[in-house]
Amino acid sequence: MLLPVFTLKLRHKISPRMVAIGRYDGTHPCLAAATQTGKVFIHNPHTRNQHVSASRVFQSPLESDVSLLSINQAVSCLTAGVLNPELGYDALLVGTQTNLLAYDVYNNSDLFYREVADGANAIVLGTLGDISSPLAIIGGNCALQGFNHEGSDLFWTVTGDNVNSLALCDFDGDGKKELLVGSEDFDIRVFKEDEIVAEMTETEIVTSLCPMYGSRFGYALSNGTVGVYDKTSRYWRIKSKNHAMSIHAFDLNSDGVNELITGWSNGKVDARSDRTGEVIFKDNFSSAIAGVVEGDYRMDGHIQLICCSVDGEIRGYLPGTAEMRGNLMDTSAEQDLIRELSQKKQNLLLELRNYEENAKAELASPLNEADGHRGIIPANTRLHTTLSVSLGNETQTAHTELRISTSNDTIIRAVLIFAEGIFTGESHVVHPSIHNLSSSICIPIVPPKDVPVDLHLKAFVGYRSSTQFHVFESTRQLPRFSMYALTSLDPASEPISYVNFTIAERAQRVVVWLGQNFLLPEDTHIQNAPFQVCFTSLRNGGHLHIKIKLSGEITINTDDIDLAGDIIQSMASFFAIEDLQVEADFPVYFEELRKVLVKVDEYHSVHQKLSADMADHSNLIRSLLVGAEDARLMRDMKTMKSRYMELYDLNRDLLNGYKIRCNNHTELLGNLKAVNQAIQRAGRLRVGKPKNQVITACRDAIRSNNINTLFKIMRVGTASS
Amino acid sequence: MSSEMEPLLLAWSYFRRRKFQLCADLCTQMLEKSPYDQEPDPELPVHQAAWILKARALTEMVYIDEIDVDQEGIAEMMLDENAIAQVPRPGTSLKLPGTNQTGGPSQAVRPITQAGRPITGFLRPSTQSGRPGTMEQAIRTPRTAYTARPITSSSGRFVRLGTASMLTSPDGPFINLSRLNLTKYSQKPKLAKALFEYIFHHENDVKTIHLEDVVLHLGIYPFLLRNKNHIEKNALDLAALSTEHSQYKDWWWKVQIGKCYYRLGMYREAEKQFKSALKQQEMVDTFLYLAKVYVSLDQPVTALNLFKQGLDKFPGEVTLLCGIARIYEEMNNMSSAAEYYKEVLKQDNTHVEAIACIGSNHFYSDQPEIALRFYRRLLQMGIYNGQLFNNLGLCCFYAQQYDMTLTSFERALSLAENEEEAADVWYNLGHVAVGIGDTNLAHQCFRLALVNNNNHAEAYNNLAVLEMRKGHVEQARALLQTASSLAPHMYEPHFNFATISDKIGDLQRSYVAAQKSEAAFPDHVDTQHLIKQLRQHFAML
Repeated sequence: MLLPVFTLKLRHKISPRMVAIGRYDGTHPCLAAATQTGKVFIHNPHTRNQHVSASRVFQSPLESDVSLLSINQAVSCLTAGVLNPELGYDALLVGTQTNLLAYDVYNNSDLFYREVADGANAIVLGTLGDISSPLAIIGGNCALQGFNHEGSDLFWTVTGDNVNSLALCDFDGDGKKELLVGSEDFDIRVFKEDEIVAEMTETEIVTSLCPMYGSRFGYALSNGTVGVYDKTSRYWRIKSKNHAMSIHAFDLNSDGVNELITGWSNGKVDARSDRTGEVIFKDNFSSAIAGVVEGDYRMDGHIQLICCSVDGEIRGYLPGTAEMRGNLMDTSAEQDLIRELSQKKQNLLLELRNYEENAKAELASPLNEADGHRGIIPANTRLHTTLSVSLGNETQTAHTELRISTSNDTIIRAVLIFAEGIFTGESHVVHPSIHNLSSSICIPIVPPKDVPVDLHLKAFVGYRSSTQFHVFESTRQLPRFSMYALTSLDPASEPISYVNFTIAERAQRVVVWLGQNFLLPEDTHIQNAPFQVCFTSLRNGGHLHIKIKLSGEITINTDDIDLAGDIIQSMASFFAIEDLQVEADFPVYFEELRKVLVKVDEYHSVHQKLSADMADHSNLIRSLLVGAEDARLMRDMKTMKSRYMELYDLNRDLLNGYKIRCNNHTELLGNLKAVNQAIQRAGRLRVGKPKNQVITACRDAIRSNNINTLFKIMRVGTASS
Repeated sequence: MSSEMEPLLLAWSYFRRRKFQLCADLCTQMLEKSPYDQEPDPELPVHQAAWILKARALTEMVYIDEIDVDQEGIAEMMLDENAIAQVPRPGTSLKLPGTNQTGGPSQAVRPITQAGRPITGFLRPSTQSGRPGTMEQAIRTPRTAYTARPITSSSGRFVRLGTASMLTSPDGPFINLSRLNLTKYSQKPKLAKALFEYIFHHENDVKTIHLEDVVLHLGIYPFLLRNKNHIEKNALDLAALSTEHSQYKDWWWKVQIGKCYYRLGMYREAEKQFKSALKQQEMVDTFLYLAKVYVSLDQPVTALNLFKQGLDKFPGEVTLLCGIARIYEEMNNMSSAAEYYKEVLKQDNTHVEAIACIGSNHFYSDQPEIALRFYRRLLQMGIYNGQLFNNLGLCCFYAQQYDMTLTSFERALSLAENEEEAADVWYNLGHVAVGIGDTNLAHQCFRLALVNNNNHAEAYNNLAVLEMRKGHVEQARALLQTASSLAPHMYEPHFNFATISDKIGDLQRSYVAAQKSEAAFPDHVDTQHLIKQLRQHFAML
């Protein structure tokens, strides 16, 4: 049984996930957390005595421990740590939707204040790869930026979607940290400096990541899943109906291995073993957990686990001693376990009785063949699964079809499919009505993304009148490009956009790749190089042509730049290509991008004007307010009234102006995101070094505002020549 | 002679001799030939020159030093949310004067201002960042004190400094801003700069608040909309393009944009512009502006670091040193401030501010003889006003050179520019009278001080003490109450009131007043003693 060593109740709300502990003066750990209305509070219980003579305002002891910092903008991320190793104490980093502030709390001075157009949704502080100085890495709209203590950005790259979580972890065990990025497109990407070394696809938005130890890291999704990865393979995961607000790695049972501590939205905190996910400790708060951090908050040399709830309740736990290992839960938790186990036992007994009764019935009338309700099926029953492409008809849109059939006259009562990322909520159940049961079932599948998926099938097989069924389990892999149907060659439909590259592989290998990644009809035969194949997308009817020449030169014609990128990435991993330079041209897409860039400029200038207007208005409001107050003091009610009327009108104007500005800002953000995505897509068309070159060159082009160079880089991959 | 001279040359000569009105008139005459002097005729370079010259002359007439002259308005003071830390650590903020870490003279010796900061030796408009607690206090103070604080800084400048509107010619303003095609001007860098300064300084008018926008636009056009211009002007010749290019690299424009942002209260944007300007070209001015931004953001430590950076680039630069000294002084770190003022004097031995500040520092640290030397130096330098003679008189008195004391005060009285000054002089004279034991004279002096300035809290307090000595308790109490309501930041009236109430047995009021006194001056031993005594009394009851 583990009890909190201290409990504090601060009278401040805490915003979820915005809690950090730092030694802002070099010795005393203080808790910093974002609270309402754009404020950050710092709880510093260690220097209570110094405050008394300084401030003239009377404060209660607990109040005086908390000092507030005004950020004047909604705080979107917050962390603390050593940014400048020479200073010897921690800096506080606060990110908002437009800015990043590095603040020296001790000296009340800015280390730097940077405008970040892409916003800061997540922040992590530490050293990355070979970059020697600590970086504050922020993730925004499709972009990642790393700043050193002077505020110059030493690291910049783009990623697929809005970044939601960041962590630093030694992913490949080379002693240097890699950056883990969890984004809104359900992916966890691993960056070794600015190169992606791994990508894992999850089933929901990745809300938090935390390094455990070595190459192991924990993650949490927005649907209430938490789990642990080791490198690219998942160790375990659990799903809850609550949301994991914050995860943290901490060795709570003193066994030398960090446990995954999760704070949930219903106020529960639990610690799970990193190997099995078994709960070894839990506690309850009265409100949702805002953050879980660790620090030596009592200054006694022991690190405590500190949990904060959104209502400002803070509890600190000391790790359990070796004697109480595995005994961290209180007795009631054990009783829960016993209850659970006895329930299991009950179920098993029930099942056993079923079997016994079946056996009894069989003995009683062995020759009665028709009584299928007992659930006996022929021993040689097999289940066939086939995947094919269906072009659709009037009633159904085009889809990929999964056909499940049995080898004899048994029928399929229901099919359970478990697959990540295809269905909403991971699993899909098909159970035809009792009248049209048959021995085969067709299930339409529409994967939203081009990713290979494992389909785990469970089919209930029996007879029409059976009450009990046999369950057949099988696994089927859905190829990556299953949503593309092979069509006859039609030169007229060839898209004008193309990518062009050369690989040193025989054409047969390309055919093998085609076979593995596309759903080709069984009778397809592809002759030797040079050849051309043509596909139609089932999603939007777009065409895809793949041409291979004798020299190994491959041309892919498609209007979808994402698809082209996916094909190249898939080929690169199949043929183990390390570096691939690609020539690409997407006139339609580039034209759109050009428009977006022009728009970004326009929005920028409008933004400048609007903010100047707003500042001006707020100055006016201030003077009116003082004027009104002045009139009040002079008992000049008439003037006061008219002043307040003016103030009211102006305030309304200001609100309208603010709405306009808000819209402008969202538009701007959307466009910036599009630009970042364009860079990312251009990068995805290349592999290895050329990819990084493209991304860096694109950024330089955007910085120097040279649109033509930007398109040239996207086309040929380099700025020069 | 003037009729024979080339008018433009003459105008230039007027300008150089700072005869701006004459220069402007001459330029107007020259421009009258063109049908409309709104826009200079591009064909006639002479006209263009005259136009620029007129704009510059009009600007120079009302030019104020943006760095030094900047008064914080009530609104800025009360509704300020720019500072990050609301309860900063003592010694890192200008809002909350630190406790006396460096062992300077205590409050009992050196009086403090309302903000709880020792009185400095030099009155400057931008040093009062002490915040009154409530809006009511903030509004009342300017009525009673003699610095009429403006409502906002932007409106304040118009009232006190922006006399431009009175100077405009009877036949309409020189430049009609609403008709200006700013894009066009932004492409002519020389014109644009003159025009910018004209708009910034001259046209800074209450009714044209939108002008700030205009200013911004003008400044921003060259580079923020550079891209647009770039596309539009692709067809234009190479020369135009290169100027465009040079404008993007022009630090001057960045500083100007920063200034505009600063005026609009957008400190963060201003910071960005100044920083980027500093990267291109390091200028003392830019350092000073940036430091001003940090002071507005209540980050004195950052400002100090910046000044020190600036000193690395410009060693011995007086304005930077002086800036450091001012910040130290505002942070209540008198010894460091004095050190930097001395550094200033090493570089520029006629720096009035430094001399005055060191002088007052010496005076309040019980070295009136040395202070006297500094004030004499000021006198030598040709400063001849009431304040200086007043200080000289005080120094002489404390240095026991009685022969000079009264003559100095007499001079100060004759030089006093207004009643407030006279009141101060009379108050000090009263002080001298108390010192030599002439209570009647002292009484009269304080009365005179009050006649001159009805809100002189110190005089009320001292008068009350005199009345108390005479045994007029009720009068003394009334006077003390007036004093404490006029200047709640002074501890003396509170303490005196507490003592007098204690003596007549009104313990409750005494306790309340003593607590106020303690709030104003926590380290005052007598107050603490009194409170302790009172607590004992209460405990006994």
